[in-house]
Amino acid sequence: MKNKKFVWAVMLPAMLHILVFIIVPIGIGLVVSFFNYNPLSSNNTFVGLGNFQKLFADPDFRLAMKNTLIFVFATVFLNIALSLLVAQLISYFKSNKVRSFFRMVFFLPCIAPMVATSVVFSRSILPTTTGFLNMMLNRVGLPSVNWLGDPKVIMISLIIYTLWVDVGYNIVLFSAGIDGIPAYVYEAADLDGASEWRKFRKVTLPLLGRSFQFVIVQTLISHFQMFAQFSVLILKDGPQNSGLVLSRYIYKTAFEYKDMGYASAVSMVLFIIIIILSFIEQKKHNVDWEY
Amino acid sequence: MKKIVSLLLCVLLAVSLTACSGSGNDNGADPGQAQPSGDGGSGEDITLTMWAHQNEPWNAAYTDAIAAFEAENAGIHIQLETFPYDEFEAKVQTSLIDGDGGADIYEMWGGWALDFTPHNTLMAMPDDFAAQIQEETYAPTYGALMNDGKLYGVPLEFNIENGGLVVNLGLLEANNLKVPTTWEELKSTAVAGTAHDGNVFQVKGLDFVNWDSVPYYFLSLILQQGSNYLTEDGKFDVTTQEAKTAFDELASMVTEDKVTDLEGLTGGGDLEGYQQCYAGRVMMVPRGPWVISEGVESFGMELGTDFDYVEMPWYTDDHKFASETGWSLAVSASCKEQEAAMKFIHYLYEDEVMLDHNIRCTQIPSKRNLAESAEYQEAMPYTKVLVDILDNAQFIGTFNTDRLKETVNDTFVGYCSGDYASIDEAMEDLNTKLNAILE
Repeated sequence: MKNKKFVWAVMLPAMLHILVFIIVPIGIGLVVSFFNYNPLSSNNTFVGLGNFQKLFADPDFRLAMKNTLIFVFATVFLNIALSLLVAQLISYFKSNKVRSFFRMVFFLPCIAPMVATSVVFSRSILPTTTGFLNMMLNRVGLPSVNWLGDPKVIMISLIIYTLWVDVGYNIVLFSAGIDGIPAYVYEAADLDGASEWRKFRKVTLPLLGRSFQFVIVQTLISHFQMFAQFSVLILKDGPQNSGLVLSRYIYKTAFEYKDMGYASAVSMVLFIIIIILSFIEQKKHNVDWEY
Repeated sequence: MKKIVSLLLCVLLAVSLTACSGSGNDNGADPGQAQPSGDGGSGEDITLTMWAHQNEPWNAAYTDAIAAFEAENAGIHIQLETFPYDEFEAKVQTSLIDGDGGADIYEMWGGWALDFTPHNTLMAMPDDFAAQIQEETYAPTYGALMNDGKLYGVPLEFNIENGGLVVNLGLLEANNLKVPTTWEELKSTAVAGTAHDGNVFQVKGLDFVNWDSVPYYFLSLILQQGSNYLTEDGKFDVTTQEAKTAFDELASMVTEDKVTDLEGLTGGGDLEGYQQCYAGRVMMVPRGPWVISEGVESFGMELGTDFDYVEMPWYTDDHKFASETGWSLAVSASCKEQEAAMKFIHYLYEDEVMLDHNIRCTQIPSKRNLAESAEYQEAMPYTKVLVDILDNAQFIGTFNTDRLKETVNDTFVGYCSGDYASIDEAMEDLNTKLNAILE
């Protein structure tokens, strides 16, 4: 009983923090979404579900939603595939120092500020005429690509940048997961004559279940909320809003259009999407075993 | 004992959490409050906070003006706090929404003031001072600071994006071309100076495609034809023949004359158009005078030798254009020391102080007598082409100009990219979207 009280006492500040800085703002956001809300005005009219009804007729919202879903599913899928592959390759090195070196190299972009790296990509790597990437393409005889000014290409540029900047984090997580798998499991597989591919498929992948669960959920959440590259890397949401995503649309609606009620409604939709996807993912990858 | 330890831990954790979620106010002071100075609490000295965006020469000019003001007004201290431009608008907005305000005196873009003036978050200027400002300054410089007959700030500059043309003299000379003086010459010179390598531009003859120039020149071309983009009841009407002609005229330079592309609006470039002009990749760029200092300081070019700032040819003989309210100063309604804040505002508004500020910040003065003064023209001779046309400007209108620019630019990109079947369809769509801004 005393132990329980201690746990409660220790947990209380953290719970208060969550309540004050997470739950209450979400609640306020929900309330605001039912108003035609301008925080400077003393007369904010209640519009009920008006802001949510407006969403369905708003072509910019539909475009932002489509772009967000394309971006998130592409980056999450590619990020996980790539980080898992690299983590597995790193695990083949026997030396701890070599493994640490490669993890550090891949992790470096994660610690650089995204605003700064976005500027580097937009000003030095991706420009059409003077960008490093097009220079390399031209060197091997390929034509230049308008990476940031072509509505058909801009999302690919954003995905490439996001993978570069974010893949290192999951490589470290998967590496830790792979290193945590007991050696005797692989030894047993070796005795059974399993190939490397079979060991990866039948041993590594299933035993990385916990890592997968965490990595997928946190990557999904963080990629739905990505903002810096959409704000800095591309110009004004790209040609014909081809780079407009929900996080940018929320910012734009709230701070540029000063329509906070509507921005809150868009935020609620984004919040619900993230909750639902996270819940599905949790259920799908529920792990009830231990080594 | 365990209970005491538990309680102690709770208190420690709560304190650490509170510390982590601090307001970010560097001096730890209550935002918006006039702070007592560190004179041991005598309560006689007044400290005001002023917020401005980061700009080296501008901040230096403010700092010197503050020092001179403090020397003349013992007991009043002004603490200047500066923020990166990209964060500044949100910072100003959230601090004024907060009610208590984050500063006593704000440097404010005119367009932002539109959101604050109807809600009593800014202090109205005293009637006699407001009347003086309206008499002495150009109308577009304070248009956005007005609400319900009251003036809520002091204009520092005349924001102008029309009328001036940056010309790379080296490129002009290399093509045996002269500075154009008529609209037709402008187009033919731009065509003659444009160089392509396949689909890639080597030199753009006239790069007017940027966030500001397309909307401003669109409005100006409408006004120059004797029409207007606003109806008498304040609604947009860009379905007129004049508006269609204006839009088509600009678009044709991209799609038919091919003197530039849409990169300035769609992205993909490493430099802005005027920077490319300094880098020798663009021959002419219509922009405000604020770009000149960058040519001299960042690109090491000499005005008059390597590049020039000349009059942008007009589309008709009626030299009209629209202008929005630029940088201004405003006092927070929640400022506890409004008298002291107004003293500083009055001080900055003095001719001598304002003239020094305008010259050091390479601004076109908001005050007519300063713009026309011999001292100003001597210090900034290249602005003469603009000073001569300031009286032709009309205030752009009381709406969110960022949304106007975004809407016009999106339609322009769409029209040039072939998304519209005709100019009529493009203008109908633009008209609907522009009027949605007013709702």
